[in-house]
Amino acid sequence: MKLRLSPQTLLLLDAFLHQADTWKYGYDLSRVTGLKSGTLYPILMRLADRQLLETQWETPDPGKPPRHMYRFTPEGLRFARANAAAISAGSLPQTALGWLQRAWVRS
Amino acid sequence: MGPLMTRRRQLAAWLLRAALRLAPRQTRAWAAAMLRELDFVSGDWSALFWAFGSTAAILRHSAGAAWAWLTQKSKEEAAMNTTGKKALGVTLGIVSALMLVGCAFAVLRIIGVIFPSLNHSPWAYWIAILAPPEAAFVAATILLWRKRGPVAAGILATGLVMALHIGVHLAMR
Repeated sequence: MKLRLSPQTLLLLDAFLHQADTWKYGYDLSRVTGLKSGTLYPILMRLADRQLLETQWETPDPGKPPRHMYRFTPEGLRFARANAAAISAGSLPQTALGWLQRAWVRS
Repeated sequence: MGPLMTRRRQLAAWLLRAALRLAPRQTRAWAAAMLRELDFVSGDWSALFWAFGSTAAILRHSAGAAWAWLTQKSKEEAAMNTTGKKALGVTLGIVSALMLVGCAFAVLRIIGVIFPSLNHSPWAYWIAILAPPEAAFVAATILLWRKRGPVAAGILATGLVMALHIGVHLAMR
């Protein structure tokens, strides 16, 4: 499967690998990875187009609009695990600022 | 400061709603997702930047979808039944040839006005009508035959009809 594994994509794949079976929200992914929406969503769209991610609207609470959720498809999980070495290397903090930001968000 | 911050968030929501309205069908779910996440973005400046980034992502995805649609269409057209294309080429050749004939007649009329003595020489007149356009038709047919076969065929057919017409006309006289 041809997919450009940019550092940002690797960061996102790394975020999805944590508790891979749980659904994740866009803004939460943005906070965990430090990616801005203009970077995050094109990657999500590309992964979903390639059937590596499945998307779903959550069942809303009464009076609340639903949120869009994402998680790996079985194929996506296989792909991420096959590229685990690149992901762990690529998702290492690129800069001290990025590392601090993610550490702060995760704490 | 409070109302200002509210205005920033309002602007962010307005921007994303506008992007959602304008987004093509295949991008709309993503645009709705980005708009929905805006409620969870803490901080009004962050919300505004979230909206800017999201709008850019929507525009890029929409542009990509539009480009994919256009290239798909052009591929479909390329694979289309070639009979229509050939007919169009032949028609184009005929129209081009007729325009050339019209121009030749117009030039001859002008020459006839400038040099009235030529009007008294019917052979010269017919040769002048026949020779330049027919020469142009033959040259165009040879030049276009390989690359624009149907157009060349249209020009050739017009040239033959014109030559036949003049031949019959001369024979009747």
